[in-house]
Amino acid sequence: METELKKERISIPTAIILAGVLIAGAVIWSNKSNANLAQKQQPQQVAQQTGDLEQMAKISASDHIRGNPDAPVKIVEYSDPECPFCKRFHDTMKQVMDEYGKDGKVAWVYRNFPLDQLHPKARNESVAIECAGDLGGNDKFWSYADRLYEVTPSNNGLDPAELPKIAQYVGLDVSKFNSCLTSGKFDKHIEDDVQNAAATGGNGTPWSIVVDKNGKKYPLSGAQPYASVKQLIDIALQSK
Amino acid sequence: MVFQALQKVFRRPQYALLAFVTSVTVFVFAVWFPNLPLIVRIMGHSDILFSQKFDLPISLLGSIVTNFTLLSASYTIAIAILFGINLSMLVYFLRRRVAEVKQGGIATGIFGITSGVVGIGCAACGSFLLTSILSLVGASWILSFLPLRGAEFGILGVILLSTSLYTTAKKIQNPVICKI
Repeated sequence: METELKKERISIPTAIILAGVLIAGAVIWSNKSNANLAQKQQPQQVAQQTGDLEQMAKISASDHIRGNPDAPVKIVEYSDPECPFCKRFHDTMKQVMDEYGKDGKVAWVYRNFPLDQLHPKARNESVAIECAGDLGGNDKFWSYADRLYEVTPSNNGLDPAELPKIAQYVGLDVSKFNSCLTSGKFDKHIEDDVQNAAATGGNGTPWSIVVDKNGKKYPLSGAQPYASVKQLIDIALQSK
Repeated sequence: MVFQALQKVFRRPQYALLAFVTSVTVFVFAVWFPNLPLIVRIMGHSDILFSQKFDLPISLLGSIVTNFTLLSASYTIAIAILFGINLSMLVYFLRRRVAEVKQGGIATGIFGITSGVVGIGCAACGSFLLTSILSLVGASWILSFLPLRGAEFGILGVILLSTSLYTTAKKIQNPVICKI
């Protein structure tokens, strides 16, 4: 009986100690393998916000749009190039464009949402995608993005040396591309995208907003299956 | 001993049903969680057909494959199952008036559930609930020090729920009584 009660008394402290050991272990392991990670952290952190979809920056000529810019349904995607779910969702969106893009029913708008805390390399890759667009126009922007999402192993796994190789692969001038990459030209643009994603309620990636012809917005969080995206598009298309 | 306790509880269909319904509810909530605002919006829209209101949430359940890693899907499912079993066993225990439901077992279960819930979500790209909580206290940088980027809390939830299950099972098999 007494032993029983003793065991009962130690169950909570045991649970707390277990939690502490797990977290401490995680910190030690992380410090070992990622000694420099903390130094690489960007100053900008995505603040948690309740979010308001109406805060979404208006789709404009400065956006990168795949498909018909006047499509009745637009999917604005805020994406992190090193997020494995964004990589998966990129393929889902290509499938969407294959089905709905040809008829001009859906347009895909790409915006940057690198999550610095999780993927310190993602911001530089977002710059690379922007540079591709700057140097080669909209087509090169999408070619570069497609190739980057194809080759990256995700989770901060892409070697930065691959970025100029991708530029060469899609037919860009590599020296101009390298200059652009270090110019800081798109730093503000990317940060504006990040802040806008957070303002609309995005706190993970991919974060998408489906906009119908009347401007009604539907939030879509994460790499949802094609069937869900298709159903949401059909709902948005039937909007009166 | 755990197996015997489970047999004792789940021999009665109402407890099996309670565990099943609870597990399914927890699982559905966990998978829908990032898209609850979308579901609410769709449900409240009068122009949308009933079939569409039904089909979209069902299809969103497919995100257990597309929006979860193998690890996060595994512990999400494990948490849902363990939660259902735990709840059912606790109800059985309480209804049988086994008076000595010590706080230890229940508290471990609640701690386990809480820990599991904060770990639920997309572990790789911003575990939604965890990110929110950490951001609120200005500690989102903690994620960068966690090798599994927050999935640790889900694993911890599974461990604590299992501990709770073991404790409750032990109590059911050996209720603390005053021996003559």
